[in-house]
Amino acid sequence: MGSAETLEIFPLKIQRNLTQLSFLRIPTRPGATRPLFDLLERHGILVRFVLEGCAGDYNRDLVICIDSEAFARLEPELKEVNTRMQAQALELRQPVAVIRILGPHFDIRPGTSGLLFGALDRAGITVFSNATTITSSMCVIPDDQVEAAERTIGRTFEVPKKKQKGVSSKQ
Amino acid sequence: MNEQSKTLDIMRRIGVPRPEKIRITGILQSPVLASLTLLLPGGNSDSSASVLELMGANEINIRFINKYKDSAGNTSLCLCIDADLLDRALSVLDTNEASLGIRDFMYHPQVKVISIYPHKERPRVTERLLTTLRMQGIDPLSTNNASSVISCVVNSDHVEQALASLADAFEMP
Repeated sequence: MGSAETLEIFPLKIQRNLTQLSFLRIPTRPGATRPLFDLLERHGILVRFVLEGCAGDYNRDLVICIDSEAFARLEPELKEVNTRMQAQALELRQPVAVIRILGPHFDIRPGTSGLLFGALDRAGITVFSNATTITSSMCVIPDDQVEAAERTIGRTFEVPKKKQKGVSSKQ
Repeated sequence: MNEQSKTLDIMRRIGVPRPEKIRITGILQSPVLASLTLLLPGGNSDSSASVLELMGANEINIRFINKYKDSAGNTSLCLCIDADLLDRALSVLDTNEASLGIRDFMYHPQVKVISIYPHKERPRVTERLLTTLRMQGIDPLSTNNASSVISCVVNSDHVEQALASLADAFEMP
């Protein structure tokens, strides 16, 4: 793996003040997660982050992140949804943030994800969940660690500076 | 017969109404990969960074990652790597099993990642993807979204069937 300084990424996309919901040990069957996604669709709520994994014994774990404001609207209906999904547990984390790192070609450069995870780990950033596919890596972290994570990623990859409002980039 | 098989059997017998197709731009499939799922001790700082650094140090390319905390508080880490590097990855994990604290691990030597785009954070796209595959008896090993795509890891033997059923469930240009 070459120097990280050569890896340029797009500006980070950060979504803050989210709630992570982990529906754990849902029995695997077609439509098992429909009550949840139907509820989200009905309320026009976007899923900022979604991940599903094997929990063994024909069970699945489903992790999603939605805006905390949207979570507050859904909360009264969540217990019933959880019952219909037959999840054995529902765990909440808030506030969390999702940081998207786009561009370092996780799919073709061995070591890129190790570089990212290693840097975050050494900086003491907690990564609750991560979804990485092709050129994009999404990390769910505590909301109060966003600034530290930004600094860490900025030291690890070459991140273009954001343009300031009202300041022209033309000379 | 497990619960999924019973549900599928009932649904096939009574028939299922066909929902309106969801418009998407396309479906991608990866080359043949191998998937590894590790169970690591939980906590705010776990050994997933060390696993990934070790893979990188051994020139093992990682094309897909799913990481989260399971119901027992362990960290579940699913990785997809180039299929021809599986033996090297297994050797690295065997050698470092104790220091990484690996509690359990399983692997699938031949999988593919199927991605649908755009996802646009729409709940119904995720639901349609998961339900369509499960109606075919295909259980994705792992699923996640990353910006504009939603992707799932499917055993290579089921990829053609999965692609055909998704092409039927989604509307493409």
